[in-house]
Amino acid sequence: MVLAVLLAGLGLFTLIVRRELIFKLLALNVASGGASLFLVAMARRAGPGVPILGLEPPPAADPLPQALVLTAIVIHFATLALALVYVIFLTEHRHSQDVRRLEKEEE
Amino acid sequence: MRWLAGAATLSLVGLLLFSSLNLSPSLQAPELETMAGMYGVRNAVAAVVLGARLWDTLFEVLVFAMAMVGVRIALRPLGRAQGAPPVPESHLLSQAARLLWGPIAVFALYLAASGHLGPGGGFPAGAILGSGLLLLALAQGTESLAQRVHEGALERLEYAAVALLLCTGTAIAWAGTKSPSWFVAANLLVGLEVAIGAWVVLHRFVAHRGEL
Amino acid sequence: MPLILASCLTLALAAFALTRRRLLWGVVGVGAHSLALAGVFFLLSAPDVALTEAAIGFGLVTFVYLLAIRRTGKLVVVATPAYPLLYQQGERIQGLEWEILTRLGRHLHRDLELIWTSRAEIAPLLRSGEAQLAAGGVIPRPDEGLPTRPLVPTRLVLVKAGPGRVGAIRGDRGEDHLPAGGQLFPGPEELLQALAQGRIGGAIVDLLRLRNWHLAGRLSGAEVTPVQEDLSFHLVVAPGEEELAHALEEVLGEMEKSGELAELIRRYLA
Repeated sequence: MVLAVLLAGLGLFTLIVRRELIFKLLALNVASGGASLFLVAMARRAGPGVPILGLEPPPAADPLPQALVLTAIVIHFATLALALVYVIFLTEHRHSQDVRRLEKEEE
Repeated sequence: MRWLAGAATLSLVGLLLFSSLNLSPSLQAPELETMAGMYGVRNAVAAVVLGARLWDTLFEVLVFAMAMVGVRIALRPLGRAQGAPPVPESHLLSQAARLLWGPIAVFALYLAASGHLGPGGGFPAGAILGSGLLLLALAQGTESLAQRVHEGALERLEYAAVALLLCTGTAIAWAGTKSPSWFVAANLLVGLEVAIGAWVVLHRFVAHRGEL
Repeated sequence: MPLILASCLTLALAAFALTRRRLLWGVVGVGAHSLALAGVFFLLSAPDVALTEAAIGFGLVTFVYLLAIRRTGKLVVVATPAYPLLYQQGERIQGLEWEILTRLGRHLHRDLELIWTSRAEIAPLLRSGEAQLAAGGVIPRPDEGLPTRPLVPTRLVLVKAGPGRVGAIRGDRGEDHLPAGGQLFPGPEELLQALAQGRIGGAIVDLLRLRNWHLAGRLSGAEVTPVQEDLSFHLVVAPGEEELAHALEEVLGEMEKSGELAELIRRYLA
């Protein structure tokens, strides 16, 4: 649980501090991993078992957060691909992926 | 900037820690029998994904498909990579890919088909099939692999999978309980959709950026 | 216990990945982080999530990142200011070499980042991979990476202004010709000051810097004797970056063929 919070924090910090777009995406990656981990750790508080019937003795982890995280990971891949397309687009057209420089050019 | 980032991070960390420490110490254990048994499946996660939160899942698949459409459209004006370097011939890699591709595909199929009984389901199956495609693409070159696939047919198959999935979802919502066969169908369709999406991303990126 | 170990590994990998300067290391680090995270998910009794995370986070996401950074990474250039070749005027960077470098950046679709440094720092920066290119009137030494074709011919000369020791720029080719008891300076500016104040009697520099000193009217009545002929200024590509060196040669070849290079040399060095 603590790890999840730390991961999310690290991701958020890097997201704000780094100026390269790709590093921002990597930071987002780590932060979303932290969020997923937070949910999975919460689910685990209900019990140590795998949430599959007949596999382990009852008190099992809550399947609901696990299901949410499952779809979240897949969606993250899809949106990441889309975001990277736009980063590529910016790099090809503006020859830069440095946020500060892009902003300056915009003005 | 750094101060702002540090403050934001600290407040987030503090908030999350505070809230997680203040949780009631004993969470009620979920009744797996009622959750999973309601849908006649054994994997409670599958019961949630395709049962209790069915519409959520369906529309997330729709989001996935939309993102793939976005990748297709947004990459189009960039133009193709010119003079892609030839794929380095690695005997080891190509042999390994040839050897592993079959088992990977079968494993993915198994995961999708048995997702309602044990760990697995459509999303992991699609992801693993996508990774298998990635391995094959690395070994043989994506372009040569792409020549064997009819682009338009694949696109139609993708949309067909989404449409069929919506139908299957409606069927699950209608027939609802005690019909695990619909779960198998839905899992297979989700796996197909995710795998095709992964392939689209791979192929498009390679086409516009050159082979890796 | 394995859970704590895996958690620490995950966090360490994430921290490693996000503090790298090179994109490649960041991407590889995040890939490894995803794999460790999948292990943590598995230990937290979520096998479905672990499978998905391993396949997507480790396989597909890493690959997509690698494709995306293929040509988008920054091209780091380390340089010493050398007036008509590469210099800064206010905010703008100008010069003959800068024109070539921007051409290269456009050719490779990569952003240029210029870092001013002293001559002695260039070789270690190239070797460590922190910079991919060196510019700014570099007469490369034999062990300093991959030099391009000669851009501008020059020679080393000994400037004698009075009695006393001889100085040179640290890391420069002049250092090789320094007689015993000679003194080294970090840059041309310090060298010129020492010479003008009479702290040293002479200096070994290249023609370009000597010309700048003369043009600025800060050196007069000195006696100039050649030390080494047949030298020239090059751009230098970091060792191990053969592909980049090849691309740079291509750009230079194109510019030479179209007469653009000769035109630029005339404009900057007339």
